[in-house]
Amino acid sequence: MNGTTVLDQAVSESGDSLVTTKSLGKRYRQVDALRDCTLGVARGEVFGLLGPNGAGKTTLLRLILGYLRPTSGQATVDGLDATHQSVAVRRRVAYLPGEARLFRHMRGQDILRFFAEVRPEGDFRRSLALSERFELDLSRRVAFMSTGMRQKLALSIVLATETPLLILDEPTANLDPTVRGDVIDLVADAKRQGRTVIFSSHVLSEVEEVCDRVVILRGGKLVHTQDISALRRCHRIRAAITGAPPLPPVALQDQLDVRSPAANQIEIDTYGELGPLLGWLATLPLTEMRIEPIGLRAVYDRFHAPRGGLPTQADGDDQPAATGLRPDGSQDRKPGGPVVSHPGATRHDAGSPTPDDCLPAEGSSLSAESAGGRTGDDLR
Amino acid sequence: MTRVLLKKYVNDAKWLLLACGGTIFAFCWIRVWIVSRLDTGRFKAILDLLPGDWQRFTPVDFEWLITYTGRISLAYDELIVVLCVSIWSIARGSDCISGELGRGTLEMLIAQPVSRLKVITVHSLVTIMGVAILAIAAWGGTCTGIYNTSVTEEILPAWQLPIPLPWIGAEVPIPFSTPQSVDAPMSDKVDVDVFLPATVNLFALGLMVAGFTTMMSSWDRYRWRTIGIVVGIYVVQIILKLVGLAADEVNWLLYFSAFTSYEPEAFVHIADATPQFAWSLSIYDADGHWKTWGPMAHHLVLAMIGVVSYLAAAVIFVRRDLPAPM
Repeated sequence: MNGTTVLDQAVSESGDSLVTTKSLGKRYRQVDALRDCTLGVARGEVFGLLGPNGAGKTTLLRLILGYLRPTSGQATVDGLDATHQSVAVRRRVAYLPGEARLFRHMRGQDILRFFAEVRPEGDFRRSLALSERFELDLSRRVAFMSTGMRQKLALSIVLATETPLLILDEPTANLDPTVRGDVIDLVADAKRQGRTVIFSSHVLSEVEEVCDRVVILRGGKLVHTQDISALRRCHRIRAAITGAPPLPPVALQDQLDVRSPAANQIEIDTYGELGPLLGWLATLPLTEMRIEPIGLRAVYDRFHAPRGGLPTQADGDDQPAATGLRPDGSQDRKPGGPVVSHPGATRHDAGSPTPDDCLPAEGSSLSAESAGGRTGDDLR
Repeated sequence: MTRVLLKKYVNDAKWLLLACGGTIFAFCWIRVWIVSRLDTGRFKAILDLLPGDWQRFTPVDFEWLITYTGRISLAYDELIVVLCVSIWSIARGSDCISGELGRGTLEMLIAQPVSRLKVITVHSLVTIMGVAILAIAAWGGTCTGIYNTSVTEEILPAWQLPIPLPWIGAEVPIPFSTPQSVDAPMSDKVDVDVFLPATVNLFALGLMVAGFTTMMSSWDRYRWRTIGIVVGIYVVQIILKLVGLAADEVNWLLYFSAFTSYEPEAFVHIADATPQFAWSLSIYDADGHWKTWGPMAHHLVLAMIGVVSYLAAAVIFVRRDLPAPM
């Protein structure tokens, strides 16, 4: 299946999905901004979009909103064609652009009032309440606001709108940590209300915190779908060991990758619950043992980092490197580590790098959850 | 929703409209006052000094042009009036799409459930209403001037003794008393209604420029580029008209300049001299033969260019991709 997964196909075709794209593409002369993108966003899901600048995230969002006309394929929101029923689509969507620019000559309060009035379901009082939460000075003209204040103003407009779908393109850019936290809380509130959120960000920790599922785009192509709840069950155990690395018990073999990166060192990647594993670990001659979650950063770096390997959340900050792929699309591997593959990877691109896949398979429990509770068999 | 958009666009435009409208109104008023201060006879002396070829640059006879009505009608062709209408039309037309796109504000606006057609229609409606207000300001200023100024004329005494000059064969009239200066209201000399065709012509010019600018704006993403292109074409059109008027050999160039249809003083002249043709599509001679196109034909040429440009702008804008702000 080119450019898609069983999971995406299933969500895309199911009646539960609020947003679907089928073979969606956008080409500018010689450049493919987006290629053959098929995905589905289930109702009530918080769906993350990841990728470096130019990966196609914003193009995908603009196609969904009807700002751009697709070169191929189709996007629908709530069954409505994004290109030909754009107004009806936008009635169901509240959109925060990546760089929200507001009318510079207007005061903050007038801006809130304008956007509340221009929308039938607009709520001025809710906008005001949000702006108070963000401690925003509404008496200032937009021209005299800082970038962060403008972002808060835009958030007050967008988050006040009670639409089924919320599209946030880098909502926390230019915000201080407190307001970032508020935004994340508001997204979580939206999810609790049953609203669907598409969340694009470069801050992986936020995406990991708030999203149910993320897709990674590279060069205009959707290359990976990751269920976050499954990711949270993945861990890496690092320890010093005396003697040869042990063979895992047969019952645990499907959930483990064991390797020895250096003499007297052992690394174990786990893909399921830690509980059953701990008993076996207790029998091993391990010292200096550390257990770390394998974060979204590790998954992201498989497609976009300059160096391979599987860094954990403890390895560095949230900002991924934007390059790192060889010209042929392959990726460097961690020195000394054997190639470990696992059938659980939710891969999209046959030409993408083949790093250490550590994630459960499509149709497994994680896929069923993200597809609105259907079983893996249903998805297939 | 339409009301909200309308209110916003009016607020956006009000200061420019006030400035342009106030300038036009004041200028046209002052223009009438200046006309009232200068004696028509002195004007004739000035015009007599001009070479005969200069006549080709004006669509009306100098004889009529030195009348109060003729001189007031020139206000519609003055740089300030044409410039104010053009500034309004180009500023608003270029703001419509490429201006909003360039500033990035279209992004948030179009994210609301409002159709692109509605955005361009409401914006253009405000622009066209503004053009109408500016044209009315020109007429209003002229009317205000006409009703608030008076002219001083010298009246020679009715009784004069003609003294024959021997060998020359002419007579010199010798008045029995000194000439009298009489003040008369300008409104007694000039009918304000004759300026209505010029007002409509000014409106049509503004509509054309606004429509064309909006069309250029609808496919562009940079306002400065839109303004540059429109001003460039504007200047070329003026040059085509001037060159076309300058020599008979290149008279055909007039067909390629929209400004050929902007002749407000000619239409005032028609309304003044032949009121029956003031709103005609065609003008006929005394024998009933077609003579030339009437004022209404010229108004329609300009207005049609504007309307067609607006329609093209709407089609282009509705179909185009909206790029992300730079």
